[in-house]
Amino acid sequence: MNAGLPTENILELDDVHVFYGAIHALKGVSLTVREGEIVTLIGANGAGKSTTLRAINGLNHARRGSIRFQGNDITTATPHTIVKGGIAQSPEGRRLFPRMTVIENLEMGAFQRTDRENFQADMDRVFELFPRLYERRTQNAGTMSGGEQQMCAIGRALMARPKLLLLDEPSMGLAPIFVEKIFEIVREINAQGTPVLLVEQNALMALDAAHRGYVMETGRIALEGEAAELKTNEAVQKAYLGLE
Amino acid sequence: MASALERLRRSSAVDLTGLGLVALVLFWLAVNFVKAPAEFINVGLIGLTNGAIYGIVALGYTIVYGILQLINFAHGDVFALSGLVASTVIVSVLGLDADASVPVIVGGMLLTLVVIMTMFSFVNATIERVAYKPLRHAPRLAPLITAIGVSFIVQNVGLAIYGVNFRSVPAFIPPTNVFEIGGVSYTWDKLAALMVVVPLLGLLTWFVRQTRQGKAMRAVSQDREASAMMGIDVNRTISITFAIAGSLAGAAGIVFLLQFNMRYDTGFELGLIAFTAAVLGGIGNLPGAVLGAILIGLIQAFNEGLTWFAPGSDWTRTIVFGILILILVFRPEGLLGERTPEGA
Repeated sequence: MNAGLPTENILELDDVHVFYGAIHALKGVSLTVREGEIVTLIGANGAGKSTTLRAINGLNHARRGSIRFQGNDITTATPHTIVKGGIAQSPEGRRLFPRMTVIENLEMGAFQRTDRENFQADMDRVFELFPRLYERRTQNAGTMSGGEQQMCAIGRALMARPKLLLLDEPSMGLAPIFVEKIFEIVREINAQGTPVLLVEQNALMALDAAHRGYVMETGRIALEGEAAELKTNEAVQKAYLGLE
Repeated sequence: MASALERLRRSSAVDLTGLGLVALVLFWLAVNFVKAPAEFINVGLIGLTNGAIYGIVALGYTIVYGILQLINFAHGDVFALSGLVASTVIVSVLGLDADASVPVIVGGMLLTLVVIMTMFSFVNATIERVAYKPLRHAPRLAPLITAIGVSFIVQNVGLAIYGVNFRSVPAFIPPTNVFEIGGVSYTWDKLAALMVVVPLLGLLTWFVRQTRQGKAMRAVSQDREASAMMGIDVNRTISITFAIAGSLAGAAGIVFLLQFNMRYDTGFELGLIAFTAAVLGGIGNLPGAVLGAILIGLIQAFNEGLTWFAPGSDWTRTIVFGILILILVFRPEGLLGERTPEGA
């Protein structure tokens, strides 16, 4: 167990099965995220990492198994009620609203919140994390660089004041300098108290940042453990870290 | 390299033809203006007014297309039905006649406007719920065919209730002049239409740009799935969009009824004209729909109202739908639209 971290489960997936039509995409995924943790989900393309997130956020409901968030069953909840419950996401490929400004995108992140009086303070906090976004605040999101868009996507998720943050491939397609920066921010967000479920293909960076990790293979969890342990695991090193 | 040159040559040939055509039209307009300037401006004002009415119908097409990528062919028929119901409200329910005092007429019109806009926002949202929502994940051809089906259903509801005769209301707002300067005049009945249409355009623009729900509409239009991930209730947002489109159709129905006769099939042709306007401006683009509608209104008015070599009203449909074909061939994204991967 992680010393000094509370061990209460905020998110629990139990034997989750997801189908795309006839394709059995998730074949019984079980995982947990505890308060205060960064948990990473690594694995090859098509292993089911994004599908797992889509089961959590309600876009693809699990046909079997259950998903509990803070003790409540959210297996068949609608996406907007799940966001309202406190799970926010920065999706794969960023998925900003391209013809809306940075500020409007951030506002959309806070869509489910009713405490409008705190919006400005939260937006300021996002701009503090990403000063670049402040410079671009009135620009349409679609006209920004990939790195700036990724910052905006993470900022947009933070605007929900999430109790759990899902990050899907935040480093994808970014220059190394941006990748470093993004992981630094993820650690900072976590240090401020938000648990993070991080899906990454960049396994080395992800395991460096995370407390624990799960390795997915063809719709199943193949391995799980402390991030430091996984990093030294021979199979993981061979398959995902490019080390011999 | 060769194909690039080929494309360049082809596009410049197309450009030249297009420019030639536009130059010819401008020349024709200029000659007409010089020959009879006052008449030219009068005709232009009629075109602007009709264009504004087409505009609020076109906006209904364009916001629905923006959010569902669906051409809601039933929209024109919802417009026509709203006009017919408005005639019942004005003539039978309120019993207004042209002799009533001005406050009574204005009050009655505003009341009718509110009632019809509310009613048809529900009608349109219900149509979406019943006919389009079950097909949300079907291939795009399925809801399109359903929309044509709904169009016939709405038209036949109008036919069943109101029969084949045209309906009209008394001339509440007399076509007397608001102003007349050197032969250029504008009448009260047209101004009344603008007094309804222009504030509605302003209200819609404000709603879409400034309000939380309006921004959600834009978000869903741009990325439905990402909107759901942000906690936007996508189904509710789509319902609201249809409700707004329906209320705009209702407002257009009343404004149209005050100037023209209507019957069950009035919406078919006006719907197609408004659809053309939406495509001309760039379907999915709000200012584009209004711009396209005003251009179509002007084209129609100049065609029917000018005296020097105007083709006349027999040619209006040919010209309007000829424009539709030309845009679809040469500029499918419309005047203000953006090129999308789908090319629409």
